[in-house]
Amino acid sequence: MPFIDAGDLPGDSEIVADLIVIGGGMAGLALAREWAGSARSVAVIESGGKTFDPAVQDLYRGAGVMRGPDSPDQPFDDYVGQSRRRMLGGSGMIWGGKCVALDPADFARRDWVPGSGWPISRAAIQPYYDRACDLLEIAHFPPGETGLDVAGKPALAIGDRKAFFSAPRRFTKFSGGVDKAAYDRWRFAPAEAANVTVYLNANVTELRLAADGQSLARLDLACLNGRRHTARGRVYVLATGGIENARLLLASNTVAAAGVGNGAGLVGRHFQGHVVFSVDDRKGGRTSGVYLSGTDNDMTLYTDGSKGAAHCVFAPTLAGQKARRGGNCTITLNSFRTPAPVDPELAALQQLAGGVDRGAPVARADRDLSCFVMTEHAPNPESRVSLGDSSDALGVPRVKLEWTWSEADWRRLESSVAAFGQALGEAGLGRLAFPAERSRYLAMAATSASRHHMGTTRMHRDPAQGVVDDTSRVHGVDNLYVAGSSVFPTSGIGNPTLTLLAMTMRLSDHLKSHLARAA
Amino acid sequence: MTPLDRRHVLLALTGLAAGAATPAVAALPEIDPEGARRIGQAYLDSHPGRRFDAGRLQGDLLPDGWTPEASARLRARAAADFRAGRLFIHRGWRLSDTEGRLFALAALTPP
Ligand SMILES: Cc1cc2nc3c(=O)[nH]c(=O)nc-3n(C[C@H](O)[C@H](O)[C@H](O)COP(=O)(O)OP(=O)(O)OC[C@H]3O[C@@H](n4cnc5c(N)ncnc54)[C@H](O)[C@@H]3O)c2cc1C
Repeated sequence: MPFIDAGDLPGDSEIVADLIVIGGGMAGLALAREWAGSARSVAVIESGGKTFDPAVQDLYRGAGVMRGPDSPDQPFDDYVGQSRRRMLGGSGMIWGGKCVALDPADFARRDWVPGSGWPISRAAIQPYYDRACDLLEIAHFPPGETGLDVAGKPALAIGDRKAFFSAPRRFTKFSGGVDKAAYDRWRFAPAEAANVTVYLNANVTELRLAADGQSLARLDLACLNGRRHTARGRVYVLATGGIENARLLLASNTVAAAGVGNGAGLVGRHFQGHVVFSVDDRKGGRTSGVYLSGTDNDMTLYTDGSKGAAHCVFAPTLAGQKARRGGNCTITLNSFRTPAPVDPELAALQQLAGGVDRGAPVARADRDLSCFVMTEHAPNPESRVSLGDSSDALGVPRVKLEWTWSEADWRRLESSVAAFGQALGEAGLGRLAFPAERSRYLAMAATSASRHHMGTTRMHRDPAQGVVDDTSRVHGVDNLYVAGSSVFPTSGIGNPTLTLLAMTMRLSDHLKSHLARAA
Repeated sequence: MTPLDRRHVLLALTGLAAGAATPAVAALPEIDPEGARRIGQAYLDSHPGRRFDAGRLQGDLLPDGWTPEASARLRARAAADFRAGRLFIHRGWRLSDTEGRLFALAALTPP
């Protein structure tokens, strides 16, 4: 079916379909593609149009703060609006396309990481990862901690690989920022199917519960031109992104005052994000880096930062995390060229670690690497999305983000750094420099925040501990499901989109058999 | 035990850095002597309760003076330090305690 502009429909139109997908971003469109050509009718309700419109984007504006122990709060208002894109294709219009599967450890219950453990194992999600990779036209990721051989780039090993393994990332071209034409084909494709209709400029303003509160009765829609409509389906999938999913559930409070699916008060809590910890002060001789001593590590194989090249990333094994009761982390290596150090201490340190390539006037890119560290942001109920005091142009309360780090997160970062430095030294491979002080962590985090929004509708079989069950259905609401990284119980370090697409494939299969059974 | 001069201590540090595969440590440029002295002083300062002297450190680290075999032994010892978590962290660099002690010896040894 062609695209339909909801602003052109007669006022008070009712959209009816078997499956209603709220949000035409990466998750929503991936789901619609799965249903294209099936016997079921599908309606995708998308807030934006095909092109960017500042008035639509303004609906995402909100307030934000990043908090951490012993540091002044960091203002974060801009992040709330700028870290996502409200239009057909969603944040996929600007994402980097960096993909990786989460590690087996991310799915495991780790009794030393509170709130950890997915109700799905890494092995069980593998077929969906494979389908998500096919959708993005990238090679599959193997299921274990085996490291990854990319053509001509053998998996880097540190010692016996017991503590760290090589976990490179890959890039897809399907991003508005990478290959606009390819992504346009991707985002327009679902509407080519006869059974799929994509409604543009249609904003869901409320998920309207039936009077008994046990199911959704309809959606309320509003257009920026003033038209209002409704939509009714047999099942609904909320796919508006990791912040907006929580906002819509909370703002849908006509029938249940706390919002939809919020009986346990968990909607919006456990927000998790990814940030980068690194120091880059070459003049001052303070740069986080890895200095390799061996002669047989041609690191140029791994440190080509261009799109399409595998990135050199190390991650701790589950056994390694358990041994130090630490969380997940990654250490990403990049080649860098630095002037010969003027500071004699730094010169001595680099020489000791093999870093200056035996007196070569400049460091060699194949041996001298800067690095950045990412640490798992553990689920924390105080880290949350809630409703703010002001409302957007459609009367929906704006969002307030309180991104909160704990002392335990900092400890886990430090233990990861220590473990990596130790593994390098123990294997005789080199030395690690990480000249970062705790007092600077929050500032580093605030200036390096990834646009990965996770955990606000976390998945757990127990309704007291999660917003959605292990099929992604909102606890207590029969016909409402959530797609996207908001369902992640823990964030891991991996870029989330491949995983959220894999989970969307899994949800799609579940819904197909659910509707078939219901028929 | 013949007292070492600083050059030999620096050679021992270079040997640590060079990796097992490198044949001729003596042909490598030596570690920056002023940098080594300052790092060694930092190691001494980080152990305020302990008294170090060059003789005892040398007896511990390089009892037979510097030889290529000494480099291999010190490398193994540095790896064991990392395994056991015996570290000297200086300006964010995570070094083994053995490396810290070699730097300290460099600081205490006359040029
Ligand atoms: C600059 C940038 C770089 C990134 N780089 C990477 C990367 O390299 N790797 C990675 O894995 N991830 C990356 N991400 C994150 C990635 O873009 C998201 O994980 C992904 O887009 C999430 O998909 P989604 O469908 O859940 O949400 P979105 O793609 O954000 O889609 C949500 C959709 O819902 C619509 N919508 C919102 N509210 C409503 C409403 N009320 N009614 C109807 N529709 C609504 C929006 O218009 C949008 O189309 C990046 C993000 C940004 C911003």
